[in-house]
Amino acid sequence: MSGYWARRTGSALLVLGLVLVLNFVLFRMMPGDPVASIIDPNFSPDAKAQLSALYGLDKPLPVQFLLYVKSTLSFDFGISFLTGRPVMEELRSRVPNTVALLGTSLLLSSFLGTWLGMKAALKRGSLLEKCVLWSGALSFSFPSFFVQLVLLMAFAATLPLFPLRGTLSVPPPPGGFALVRDYLWHMALPIFSLVLLGFGGWALYVRNLMVKILGEDFILLARARGLPRKNIIRGHAFRTLLPPLLTIFLLSLPGVVSGAVITETVFSLHGVGRFLLEAVTGHDYPAAGASFFLLALLTVACNLLSDVLYGITDPRVRLDRGAQR
Amino acid sequence: MRGLLKRWSFWCLMILVLAALFGNRLFDAPPGAEVAAAFSKPLWLDRTLPPTLELALTPEKPSLELDWTYGSPSRFSLRVETAHSAPDRFVEWRIPDREEPFRLTPLRTGTELDGRDISFKRSLGLPPFGDASSALFPARGAYSLSVSGEGDWQGSVTIRLEGGRWGLLGTDQRGRDIAALFTAGIRVSLLVGIFATLLATILGTSLGLAAGYAGGWADSIIMRVVDLLLSIPLLPILMALAALWGKGLWQLILILSVFSWMGTARTIRALALTLRDAPYIEGLRGLGARTGYILRRHLLPETLPVLLATMTLGVPGAILSEAGLSFLGLSDPRVISWGRMLHEAQSFGAFTAGAWWMLLPPGFGIALLCLVFLDLGKYLEERVDPRLRGGGPS
Amino acid sequence: MIEIRNLSVTYSRMTGEGGNASADAVRDVSLAIEKGRLFALAGESGSGKSTVLMAIPGLLPRGTKISGQILLDGKDLLSMKEDELNRIRWRRVALVPQGAMNSFTPVITVGRHVEEVLSVHLGLSKRDSAGRILSLFALAGLDGALASRYPHELSGGQKQRAAIALALACEPGYLLCDEPTTALDVITQQGIITTLKRLSDEKGVGILLVSHDLPLAASAASKLYIMKDGALVEEGDPRTIAAHPRNPHTKALVNALLELEEDPS
Repeated sequence: MSGYWARRTGSALLVLGLVLVLNFVLFRMMPGDPVASIIDPNFSPDAKAQLSALYGLDKPLPVQFLLYVKSTLSFDFGISFLTGRPVMEELRSRVPNTVALLGTSLLLSSFLGTWLGMKAALKRGSLLEKCVLWSGALSFSFPSFFVQLVLLMAFAATLPLFPLRGTLSVPPPPGGFALVRDYLWHMALPIFSLVLLGFGGWALYVRNLMVKILGEDFILLARARGLPRKNIIRGHAFRTLLPPLLTIFLLSLPGVVSGAVITETVFSLHGVGRFLLEAVTGHDYPAAGASFFLLALLTVACNLLSDVLYGITDPRVRLDRGAQR
Repeated sequence: MRGLLKRWSFWCLMILVLAALFGNRLFDAPPGAEVAAAFSKPLWLDRTLPPTLELALTPEKPSLELDWTYGSPSRFSLRVETAHSAPDRFVEWRIPDREEPFRLTPLRTGTELDGRDISFKRSLGLPPFGDASSALFPARGAYSLSVSGEGDWQGSVTIRLEGGRWGLLGTDQRGRDIAALFTAGIRVSLLVGIFATLLATILGTSLGLAAGYAGGWADSIIMRVVDLLLSIPLLPILMALAALWGKGLWQLILILSVFSWMGTARTIRALALTLRDAPYIEGLRGLGARTGYILRRHLLPETLPVLLATMTLGVPGAILSEAGLSFLGLSDPRVISWGRMLHEAQSFGAFTAGAWWMLLPPGFGIALLCLVFLDLGKYLEERVDPRLRGGGPS
Repeated sequence: MIEIRNLSVTYSRMTGEGGNASADAVRDVSLAIEKGRLFALAGESGSGKSTVLMAIPGLLPRGTKISGQILLDGKDLLSMKEDELNRIRWRRVALVPQGAMNSFTPVITVGRHVEEVLSVHLGLSKRDSAGRILSLFALAGLDGALASRYPHELSGGQKQRAAIALALACEPGYLLCDEPTTALDVITQQGIITTLKRLSDEKGVGILLVSHDLPLAASAASKLYIMKDGALVEEGDPRTIAAHPRNPHTKALVNALLELEEDPS
C-alpha cells in the first residue's frame, strides 16, 4: 500500500517539476527582450546591469533555470513591475481575502448542495427534485460574471444595499467589530453569488449519486435488517456517498480558483485573482509568474490530497492499485 | 435521428445559426456603427423618452408632419444634399402654437448643421447655451418640416433627432445598436465553441487511440501529459497565454483546444483498451492487418457516436471560456463577442447609467447557447449509451 | 410458524412507450415454514421463488400488487406498517441474500454490520457485542479475525458465511435463504448446506431455502416445494417426489437427472 502513495507523491512531484518548467518557459522566455521579463524595462541601464548579474541573466539557460527553481521554491518571486514592491509582499496581503472568499463560498455551496441533493433523491418526482435537475444545467450555463454583474447592478447600483466595489470601505472603519462588519458587508454579495452559482452543480451530482446508491442491493438489505430509515440514510447511504463527495470537493478547488479571478474582477476585491489579471494585462512578469505558480501548486496539492482522502474513506481503494493504470 | 427534430434545442440552434449567418442583414448599419445616443433605452422601455429618428425630405415628398408626444430630443442635426443650390428656398420648421416657422437653413449644397453650433443657434435667435433642440421642440404637438417656396427642387434634406430610445435592445456606451451587436456576437460564440471543441476532440481522439491501442511507453507518456495538463488551472493559463501570445480569435481557439482534449483522450483510451482485446480485432491482427488500418477502419468508426456526444457536451465549456476571457478584456477588441459586450458594460459605465439592457442580452445569449448544446449533448448521449454497452459486433 | 396463504404478486413495470406491462410473478401460492425444519423452494429462474421469499419481510418494490396473507404466528405481515415490520425483521425473521448480491455496505466492516443490528435490535453496546460477534462467526464457520475486514476483502464463500452470521445475530426464529450456494464451488456449497441443516436441527430455526439447484434442495430439505411460472406445482417429501413425481414438469426434471446419474460416460 505504501507503494501506491509513493507513486502518487512521485507523480505529483513530477507534475510540479513540469509546472516549474512551463512557468519558466512562459514567463521568462517570452518573445522580446528576455531581460525585460524579469527586470523592469524602465530601470536605468546601471540598475539593469546590476540586477542582471543578481538574477544570473548572463548565465547559460540551464543555470538560469536552476536559479529560478531555487528562488521559486523559496518563495522569492522578485519585484513587481507595477507596484515596485516584492511580489511575495503583495501576495501576502491578498491571499487571505481570496482564501476567505473561496473557502466560505465553497463550504456553503457544497453543504447546501449536498443537503438539497440528498433531499431530492429521497423525494423522487417531487418539485424539489425537478428544480435540482434543472439547477445543475442552469448554474453551469449562466456565466458567473453575468450573474454577478446582474446582482451587482440590482443590489448595489439600483438598490444601494451593498457596496459597489472593494474589500473594505475607504477609509476602513476603526475598531475590531466595525471592521469585521464592514468586511462582511463587502463580501456578502460576492460570496452569495458564488454560492448561488455553485450549489446547483453539487445538488445535481449528489442527487444522481444518491439515487444510484439507494438502488443498490446493500440498501435493500439494510432495510431487510429492520434498521430505521435514519440509520440507513446516515450510516449506509451517506457513508457510501462520502468518498466520491470528498474527492469532488477537493477536485473542485482548482476550478474555484479560476472563479476567484472573475469574482474579484467584478467586485474589485483585493485578492490574488485580480492580482493575476492585473499582472497579466500589465505584463508584470514576476507577479504573473508567481501567481500562476501558486495556483498550479494549489491544484497539484488538491489532486494529491483528494487521492489521499479517497484512500482513507473508501477502503476498496487502499489496496495496491498498481495494476489498474 | 427523428427524435432530434422534436427537441427544442435543435430548432433553437438552427435559428441561432441562421441569425449568425444572415442576421446582420436585418439592420441598416454595420454592428460597430454608432446609430444613436449612448445608453439609449430600448424602444419599448419608457415611452416618455423621445426615440432617435431620422427623417428626410425629398422632391417627391417636400413636407413632413410629425406628431411629437415626448420631451425634446437631446440632439438635433440637419443635412442638406443637393446638386443645385437654391438660396432663396429655405428649410422651414413649424412648431405648435406659433405661426412663424423657423428658417433653419437655405437650400445650399453640403450644408450640415448641428444643434450645438453657436452660429446656428444665433441664426434662430436662440441663446448660445444648450442644444437648439429644446427650443425646436418646446412642447408636445404637431410639428412640420418643409421646404419653402414653389416649384421643384433637387436633392434631399435629412434631419436627425437623437432621443433616449433606440431599437429593440437600446445602445451601448458608444451608441452602437445592442441588438445588432448581439446578433453579430452569435457568430463568435458558435465559431469558438465549435472549432475549439472540434480541434480538442481530434487531438484527444488521436492521442487516446494511440495510448489505448499501442499501450506501453506511448501510453505512459500520454497519460503523464494528461495528468500534467489537468493539474494546470484553466483560466489562469488561458489568461497568461492570451496576454503573452496575443489576443486574436484563432490564437484563442488554439489555446482552448490545447487545454481541453484530456477528457476525450481518457474516454477514447478506455474504449480502445476494451476494443483492443475484442476477438474480431485479434482476428484481424492474425490475418495480418496493420495497426493503421485497424485504427482507421474499425476502431475509429466505433468511437464516432461517443465522440459526437462528448463533443457536443464540450462546446459549452469552450463558449464559457471564451466569454470569460473576453470579459476579462483578454480578447481582440475589434471582434464583437458577448463576453466583450459584458466587459464593456462593466468598464464603461453601464452601472452608473443604469443601462441594464446592455447587460442582460449577452448574458442570456451565452446561457441559451450553452443550454442548447447541453440538451443536444444529452440527447446524443442517451442514444449512444445502449450501443456503447453493447461493444463491438458479437 | 410462517404460513403463506394464497399469495399472488404482480409487478407493475413501466415500459418505454408509456404503457404499463404487468408480469404475474406469483400466482396463488400457499406454503408453510415450521420451526426446527428445513424447507426448500425450488424452481427454474423466473419461477417466482425469490419473489415469494422477498415478500415475507416486506421487501418487494413499491407499487407491487400483492394479495393473500403471510401469517407469522397468526399475525398478517402484509397488513403491517413499516415500523411494526422493522421490529419483526431480523429479530424474528432474517434473510440470507443471494451470494451474487452486494449485500454488505462496501465502506463498513463486516463486523460493524453485526454490531449495528445488535445495537438497534438488542440494545447491546460495542463492548458487549464483541464476544457475541466472535461466537456468531464461529457458528457460521468463520475465523473471528475476519470481522474487522471489509466486504470486498472476503472470498465468495466467506461472504456467504458472514451473511449467515449476520442473519443469526438476533437469534431469529426463521431464516430465509435465497440461493445461498449459487456461484460457489461444490465443497463450499456442501459446507454451507451442512451449516444450515445443523441450525435447523440443533437450534430449532425454521429455514426456507430457495434454490434453482433441485438436487441440492432435495438433499437438504425435510419438505420440498417446486414452483413453475409463478405457481406451486409440487410439494412433499423430497424422496417421494423423486420416486413419484405428480407434475409432468417435475417428471421430466427428475428423469433428466436420473439419466445423468445412470449414464456412466
